[in-house]
Amino acid sequence: MRSEVGEGGTRVIYRGAEADLLRGRWCGLDAVFKFRRPFEYRLKLLDDAIRRQRTAREAEMIHDAKRSGARTPLLYFVDPANALIVMQWMKGRRLKEAVSSLPLEELERVFAELGGEVARLHASGIMHGDLTTSNVLLDNVDDKSNDKELTLIDFGLAIRTTRLEDRAVDLRLAKETLTGAHSEVASKAYAALLEGYGGEVGPGEVRDVTRQVAEIERRGRYARVE
Amino acid sequence: MGRFVVGIERTAHTFSVAVASREGKILSDVREVYTPPEGSGIHPYLASLSHVKAAPRVLRDALLTSGVAQGDIDAVAYSMGPGLGPCLRVGAVVARTLALSLAKPIVPVNHAIGHIELGCLLTATEDPLVLLVSGGHSMVVAFSYGRWRVLGETLDLTLGQLLDQFGRHAGLSSPCGMQVERAASMSSRFIPLPYTVKGNDVSFSGILTTAKRLLDGGEGFGDICFSIQETAFAMMVEVTERALAFTGKKEVMIVGGVAANRRLARMMELMTRRHSASFHVVPLRFSGDCGSQIAWTGHLAHSKGVTTSVEEASTRQSWRLDQVDVPWRE
Repeated sequence: MRSEVGEGGTRVIYRGAEADLLRGRWCGLDAVFKFRRPFEYRLKLLDDAIRRQRTAREAEMIHDAKRSGARTPLLYFVDPANALIVMQWMKGRRLKEAVSSLPLEELERVFAELGGEVARLHASGIMHGDLTTSNVLLDNVDDKSNDKELTLIDFGLAIRTTRLEDRAVDLRLAKETLTGAHSEVASKAYAALLEGYGGEVGPGEVRDVTRQVAEIERRGRYARVE
Repeated sequence: MGRFVVGIERTAHTFSVAVASREGKILSDVREVYTPPEGSGIHPYLASLSHVKAAPRVLRDALLTSGVAQGDIDAVAYSMGPGLGPCLRVGAVVARTLALSLAKPIVPVNHAIGHIELGCLLTATEDPLVLLVSGGHSMVVAFSYGRWRVLGETLDLTLGQLLDQFGRHAGLSSPCGMQVERAASMSSRFIPLPYTVKGNDVSFSGILTTAKRLLDGGEGFGDICFSIQETAFAMMVEVTERALAFTGKKEVMIVGGVAANRRLARMMELMTRRHSASFHVVPLRFSGDCGSQIAWTGHLAHSKGVTTSVEEASTRQSWRLDQVDVPWRE
């Protein structure tokens, strides 16, 4: 990434699987520069197309999500050809890092809030597409008196959809991440997530979507009931 | 007191018996591979028939070439699942018979975990992030809290099925992986195919449908093979990288039949290099299904008291690896 993009003092704050995040200033604002770096292993033709498409997609979906009332960063600048997005700097830690340190009660409250947030996205026709604990920022983690504030990030795989299947895919990924990487709290966290989800869209809807999650799991390799 | 475990693998096209020592030495590994006619896949019943015939010879050869005396055998391990019903049952019958005649305990082994544990033994990895790619699996797996956990997987076809089904559509005989790889290596013309990553998971069915249509429409076989590999492998490597970034594991290992593909291994290596992790490929001879994976994992399980009775030694066609408790780790 070229250093002249920012206004000086830009520094790398995170190297993810897909993108590097740099923190710097943009028109006087505290900003994050998200750069989808090229993958050496991927054919250049394919790689360029995917990075361009996901950058454009992410910008579009952050915009839509914001309009639906979700807490997401503000967009400052988008350059799909260079796979670059400049957006608002958000305070907080990744939920992934906070999971193990939160007391159970707090953890459940956070996941219920996340469930509500996801439900609101779904209700406005947006599927996040990448609901892992890496893609949720948690503010006020260490502040016991305040409610935790959640920010959803990384909308590169998000789509506009109202299909039950897509909503279920979203929740299944959250479940997979919890079981795969946070096994010790997985069932309680997922139950809280569903409770928060149901609180927003009602019990009938949550029944439908969890039934569909089970259906997707049954389709999994070697998962069918004998 | 014995020192060796006999492993019987029988889940799909391979019938294999191996003998492994407690120290992880493979003393014998004899195999019989069923090859279906050109253009068709494994017929489970026909495959099981062919292996019923081969069973006595494979068993005898494995036991004789190992040079192990009956009294030195600890246990008889077999692949309980997952896999094709008729094939699994042949393996279970052989295992029960052998266990009864030797009067040794019988140890059920999950085939997928067999791939992983043998891979760990042969590549000397301790706690790797595993990419398991074969005809039955396409999964990213890591160990945590007593089990191998799935961090990403295919939502429909496996990589092995994708390569096989496309190869068969072109008139080849299963398994087609090597022929597809050879054809792909002679092309560099890329035809776009559906690149479907859903979070941690992938879907290959769109690639297969499109690839078949392209072949029927007259596109070159090699060009399509090249495009399938570049697209499908990149998807798989992308979700592996996500899991690697997420878990921060220090070792990455690729196992299963498709681990034999050099392009996939190369892509994985390029990806791993960017992270502070070492990269390991299971040796070619042990990438596909083999008795060794069952013998070695059988030993690990047996060392923690995992056994079953002859009456209970049945088969499980559906038996996900994340349902299996793994007491020999941690």
